[in-house]
Amino acid sequence: MNLDATFSALADPTRRAILARLARGETSVMELAKPFDMSLPAVSKHLKVLERAGLIARGREAQFRPCRIEPKALKDVDDWLEHYRRFFEESFDRLDAYLKVLQAKPPKAKGKKHGRKK
Amino acid sequence: MAVKSSLDLDQDPHSIIGVREFDAPRELVFSVWTDAKHLAQWWGPNGFTTTTSRFEFRPGGVWRFVMHGPDGRDYQNRVTFDEIVPPERIVYRHGGGEDVEPVQFRQTVIFEDLGGSRTRITWRGDFPSAAERDRVIKEYGADKGLVQTMARLADYVAAQG
Repeated sequence: MNLDATFSALADPTRRAILARLARGETSVMELAKPFDMSLPAVSKHLKVLERAGLIARGREAQFRPCRIEPKALKDVDDWLEHYRRFFEESFDRLDAYLKVLQAKPPKAKGKKHGRKK
Repeated sequence: MAVKSSLDLDQDPHSIIGVREFDAPRELVFSVWTDAKHLAQWWGPNGFTTTTSRFEFRPGGVWRFVMHGPDGRDYQNRVTFDEIVPPERIVYRHGGGEDVEPVQFRQTVIFEDLGGSRTRITWRGDFPSAAERDRVIKEYGADKGLVQTMARLADYVAAQG
């Protein structure tokens, strides 16, 4: 799993549009090129990036090399986003609670250790 | 009472942005990011604990720590501080070492004084590949595609399961 390559591949709107198209089903490079004002080599270049990132796979037939989405890589992205979201929400809940504890201490307790005085 | 928000993928296609408000003065909110002892009290999702082996809170400094998951797994982490502007901003990179979790991303934490002892934190994670991102912004302008694509992809992945 290389999430750096995956996210870097996803950072391009054209590649995301290609993925969105492939999410509807397997198709050829020709078909994929249609909605974009782009040459076939340009589309192929995007497909190579997506393939290297493990986001798509391509058939081996010489002429018609259909592209399809790779659910495993997408699942990794999805898992990572979920992990990130949990980190944000739960850490910041804990931070909120911790700030309350700190502020509940008597203001003259300067030492950090358990607010113990003399 | 803390104002909550969930993560926003729509505001900027190349970042994930979260905003939270706290009932505490900005200096205090900032200070709990500056000391490993404080960080250990809240860093990480529920059930995680943190052990720090190195903590250098200065630009270029490194924070090495292990996050112990509730499932018993340990996660090696490395944070490198890029920018520290007390009490306004911290910029750090997460990852970037052989023995750490593979994802590298840049995180910007902005502390805003809202007055009345309230503070807003904006937490922004940038996707990797800054050069690529800049090129994309220049060529395509703002783009709302990511969140829709992600939603579609998530549906697709769910359908596979």
